Amino acid sequence: MLDAVTSLFPWITNGPLIVVQVMSGLSVAMFLFLVSVGMSLIFGVTRIVNLAHGSFYMVGAYLMVTLVETLPQHAAMFWVALLLAPLGVGLLGGIIEVTLLRRIYHREPLLQLILTFGLILVIGTLVLIVWGPDNKSVARPDALAGSVRIFGQPFPSYYLLVLGLAPVVAIALWIVFYRTRWGMLIRAATVDREMLGALGVDVATLYTQVFIFGSWLAGLGGALSAPTVAVALGMDGDVLTTAFVVVVIGGLGSFAGSFISALLVGELQSFGILVFPAVSIVLLFAIMAVVLIVRPWGLLGRPEE
Amino acid sequence: MRLRLRSTLAGFGVVALLGVLPGPDRAAAQPKPIKIGEINSYSGVATVYTFPYKEGLAMATKEINDAGGVLGRPLEFLHRDDKLKPDEAVKAARELTLQDKVDFLAGCISSSVGLALSAYAKDAKVLYFATHCQTSRLTWDDGHRYVAHTTNNVNQYVRVAAKKAATLPIKKWANISPDYEYGHNMWEEFSTYLKKLKPDVEFVQLNWPKLGETDHSSYITALLQSGAEGLFSSVWGAQSIAFVKQARPFGLFEKMRFVAPSVGNPDELDPLGKEAPVGAIATPFAWYDAGLHKRHPKLEAWTKKYTEWATAKGLKDPQPKLGASWGYASAYIIAEAIKRAKSTDTEKVIGVLSEGFEMDFPWGKVVMRGCDQQALPPQWLGVVKLDAQGKPFATDIEEVQGKEVARSCEEVKDLRAAAAAKQKK
Amino acid sequence: MTSVRWLVALVVLLVLPLLLPSFLVVVMTEIAIVALFATAFNLLMGFGGMVSFGHAAYFALGAYAAALLVKQAAWPMPLALAASPFVAAAGALFFGFFIVRLTHTYFAMLSLAFAQIVFTVVFKWKSLTGGDDGILNLWPPPALKSPLAYCYFTFAVAGLAMLALRAIVDSPFGYALRAIRENPRRARFIGVNVRRHQLFAFVLSGFFSGLAGGLFAFFNGSVFPDFAYLNKSFEPLVVVLLGGVQSFFGPLAGAVGFKVLETFIARQWPVYWPLFLGSAVVLVVVALPQGFVGLLQRRSWRIRTAR
Repeated sequence: MLDAVTSLFPWITNGPLIVVQVMSGLSVAMFLFLVSVGMSLIFGVTRIVNLAHGSFYMVGAYLMVTLVETLPQHAAMFWVALLLAPLGVGLLGGIIEVTLLRRIYHREPLLQLILTFGLILVIGTLVLIVWGPDNKSVARPDALAGSVRIFGQPFPSYYLLVLGLAPVVAIALWIVFYRTRWGMLIRAATVDREMLGALGVDVATLYTQVFIFGSWLAGLGGALSAPTVAVALGMDGDVLTTAFVVVVIGGLGSFAGSFISALLVGELQSFGILVFPAVSIVLLFAIMAVVLIVRPWGLLGRPEE
Repeated sequence: MRLRLRSTLAGFGVVALLGVLPGPDRAAAQPKPIKIGEINSYSGVATVYTFPYKEGLAMATKEINDAGGVLGRPLEFLHRDDKLKPDEAVKAARELTLQDKVDFLAGCISSSVGLALSAYAKDAKVLYFATHCQTSRLTWDDGHRYVAHTTNNVNQYVRVAAKKAATLPIKKWANISPDYEYGHNMWEEFSTYLKKLKPDVEFVQLNWPKLGETDHSSYITALLQSGAEGLFSSVWGAQSIAFVKQARPFGLFEKMRFVAPSVGNPDELDPLGKEAPVGAIATPFAWYDAGLHKRHPKLEAWTKKYTEWATAKGLKDPQPKLGASWGYASAYIIAEAIKRAKSTDTEKVIGVLSEGFEMDFPWGKVVMRGCDQQALPPQWLGVVKLDAQGKPFATDIEEVQGKEVARSCEEVKDLRAAAAAKQKK
Repeated sequence: MTSVRWLVALVVLLVLPLLLPSFLVVVMTEIAIVALFATAFNLLMGFGGMVSFGHAAYFALGAYAAALLVKQAAWPMPLALAASPFVAAAGALFFGFFIVRLTHTYFAMLSLAFAQIVFTVVFKWKSLTGGDDGILNLWPPPALKSPLAYCYFTFAVAGLAMLALRAIVDSPFGYALRAIRENPRRARFIGVNVRRHQLFAFVLSGFFSGLAGGLFAFFNGSVFPDFAYLNKSFEPLVVVLLGGVQSFFGPLAGAVGFKVLETFIARQWPVYWPLFLGSAVVLVVVALPQGFVGLLQRRSWRIRTAR
C-alpha cells in the first residue's frame, strides 16, 4: 500500500522537496492574497465586485516594467519602482471610482458588475496601445536573483522576499483595519453602510478611499509578481479568475477570510497538480461551486440579507 | 412594443442599406486587384506574433506590386480579426467569400482556427493558404486539396530538435508542454522521432500545465524529482518566459539539458535578458547570426529593409521576428502559385500546388511540396548564450532542410487514411 | 401590437433575405440566433430578475449535443437540432437546482463557476468532444445548406421559439415570475412557490439557449469549447443591455444593433473593437439605463417599469 502511494507520488518521501513546495505555494498565496484582499475589501464596503481588479494587477506589473526601464540603473531603483507602481494603480482606481462608479452605487449591483466587466475590455486595449503587444519582463534585483539552500534544496531568494513581506503586509493591514479610526469606519461600512451615513460619516469619500486602497493593493500584487512571471497581455484574465475563487471561498468582505482562503488556494494549486494532475484545473471551480452551494458567504464572510 | 419593431426594422434597414450601397468607384483603367481574404488574430494576446507577421506580409505585397503585381494585377490582402475564435474565423471567411468576393483565403495563428477554416474551405471549395498556425494536421491528417500551408509545420522543427537531442549523451527525458492540441502534437512528434533515432531513450515524466499557466512551481518540483537528464518543452510565449524565470533559481537548467524550440526567438529571449536559459537548444530564426548571413548573402539586406519598414509603421519592436519572415514568404508563395497557374481560377492554382515548386528567399530555399501542398523551409537549430553585455542570443546555428526531416508523402497518405477511417465510424 | 404590424413584420422578414446580398443574409441569420439566445437569457434577467454569468454553458451544451448526435449517433440534423435544447435543459435543471437557491451576486458567481466547469470538461474530455480541436464538418443537409435556405430555416425555428417565449412571458407563470422579481417575499405570501418558479424559468431559459446553440452549431459548421467560455456568457448580457432589459423585444433590437456594430466596426479596427465595446458597455450602464432603445424612447423622462 505504501509502495503504491510512493510510486504515485514519488516526491512524498522527499521531505526537503515538500518543504520547498509548501514554501512556493506560500509565495503564490501571497500574490493571490494581495489581489484578493483588495477585491474583497471593495466588495465589503461598496458592494461592488470589481471585475477590473485583474486589470489593476496587470497595470501594476506594466508600470513596474516602465519604471525599472526608465529609472537609473541602480540596485536601489527596484525598490523605488516597487513603491511607485502601486501608487500609479491607486491613482487609476481613484479616477475610475470618482468618474464612473460614483454614478452607479444606487443602481442594481449586477449592473455595476457589468460596468466593471466593460472596464476590463477598455483597460486591456489601452495597455496594448500604450505598451504594445510584446511580452515584457522585470529582472529580479541582483541581490535576490539567485537561490538559497533549504535542507539542501535550492529555493529562489526572491520568493523569500515575498514570504518575508507577507507577514509584514498582513500585520500592517491588520493594524490599519483594527487599530485605526479609518479601519474602524471600513469595518463598520461592511456591516451597515446606511447607519454609518446616518452617523455623519462622509460615506462617499470613504468609498473612494477604499477603492483607491483596494486598487493600490492589486497594483502592489502586480508589481511584486512582475519579476516572477511574464508581463504580457492576458495576465488580467488569469489572475482575475483565481482571485475570484479565493474571494468567494474566503468570503466577500472578510479580510481574514481572504488570507486563509489565499493560503488554501495557493497550496491547493501548488500541490493539486502533483496530486490530481488530471482534474486540478477543474478543482478550483468545483471547490468554489461547493462553497457557494453549502455556504455562499464563504468561510468567514457575512450572510447577506 | 411598436418601438421595438421600429428599431428592429431600422436595424435591418441599416444593414440592408450598407450592404446594397455601391462601393467606391474604381477608375475603369485600373486593373482589378487579386483579393486574398486574410484572417488572423489582430487583437489581444496573439498580436505579439501577428503584428510582425502582418508587416512582413505587407512589405512583400508592396514589393510584388511595385514589380508589376501578379499577372499584371495588384495583390491585395483584406485582413479580418478572428479574435482567436474558430467560429469568428469561419464567419469572417464567409464574409470574405460572399461579400468581398475574394479569390483566395489565407491566415490563422491558432491551430483550431486553421482547422476550422480548412473545413470551411473544403466545403465551400475555396482555396485556403494556412500561414502562421503550425499543426501538422492541416495538411496531413485532415489535409485536402483546398488547403495549402505556406510555412513549416510542427513536425519539421520539432524533428530537427529531436535529431539534435539524439546526439546528446542523454537517455532520460521529461516533458513539459501546454495541455492542448499544439502541446500534445509537439511532444508526440518529438518523442516518436527521438525514439526512432535513439531507441534506448526513456521518457520518465510528462507534465501538462494548462495553456497560459502562470505558476509552474509544482511542475518544477516534480521535474527536479524525476531523474530526467533532458527536458523538452513546447511551452511558448508568455508562459515560456514565466516558466524559465521560475525554473532557473531552482537550478533546473543545471540539472537537465533544456530543449525548447521557441525559446531561442527574440520575443522570448529579449524579455528574459540575463535570466535566459543559457545552453538551451532551440529552433530560432536568428536573423542577426553572422554565420547565417554568410550562408545567405541576401539575408542582411532583407533584415535591414524589414527593420526600416517596421519602424516606419510604428511597431514598438521592429526587429525581423520569425512571424515577419512567415508573412513575407506567404505573400510570395501565394503570388507564385497564381503566377504559375497563369490564372486566379481555383482549380488551376490547386493544379500548380499539387505539382509543387521551389522558391528562393533571403533565408534559403522553400520547397512547396506537391503531394500535401505543404511548405518545407529551412530549419535552424541554435544554442542560447549571453553576449558581453549580458543580452541573450542564439548561436552555433545549424541549418537543416525541412524536407530532410518531414514525413514522407507515403506517411502522409497513411495519416490521411487513418483520420478518414476514424471519421467514418 | 396590431395584427397589421405583425403582418408587415412577417412580410419584411420573408422578403428581405431575397433582396440582400449573400453575406448580409448570413449576418441576419446570426442576428436571429443571437436574438434567440439573448431573449432566452432575458427571460431570466429581465422578467425573472436573475442575472446569470454562465449562460454560455447551456448554449454550448445544446451545440455539442447537436454535434455529437449527428457525428456519433448519425442522427439526421433536424432531429439532432430538436434534441439539443432538451440536453441543455437537463443541464440547466441540474445546475439550476443549486443556483436558484442563491441570490444576486452569489447567483451570478455560482452560474459562472458551473459554466467554467462545463468549459473545462468539454476541453479535457478529448475522446468525446475532440477537446480544443472541436468537432468539424457539421454542415446542414443539402436542402438547408445555402445561406438563404439556412436563413429561412433559422428564422422559422427562432421565430417559433420566440413566439413560445412570448407565450411563456404572457402566461400566468410569466406574471408570477415578474411578481417574484419585484418582491419574492410577498410572492411567497400569496402562495407562489418561489424556488420552483425560478427553477422552471431557469430550465426554460436553458432550453431555448440550447436551441440557439444547436442552430449556431450548424450555422458555423463546427463546435468548439470556447462556446462555453466566459466571453460567450457575456454576449447575451451585452446585447440585452444595449437593447434594454425592460421589454420582450429589447434583446432582439440589441442583437441587431450589436451585430451591425460588430460587423462594421470590428472589421475596420480589430485592435480597438474591445475598447469600443467596453466603452459602450460602460456608457450604457452609466448614462442609459434603458439601453440604446431607451435613448430612442426618450419622449418623456419618466422612469418606466417593465410591462
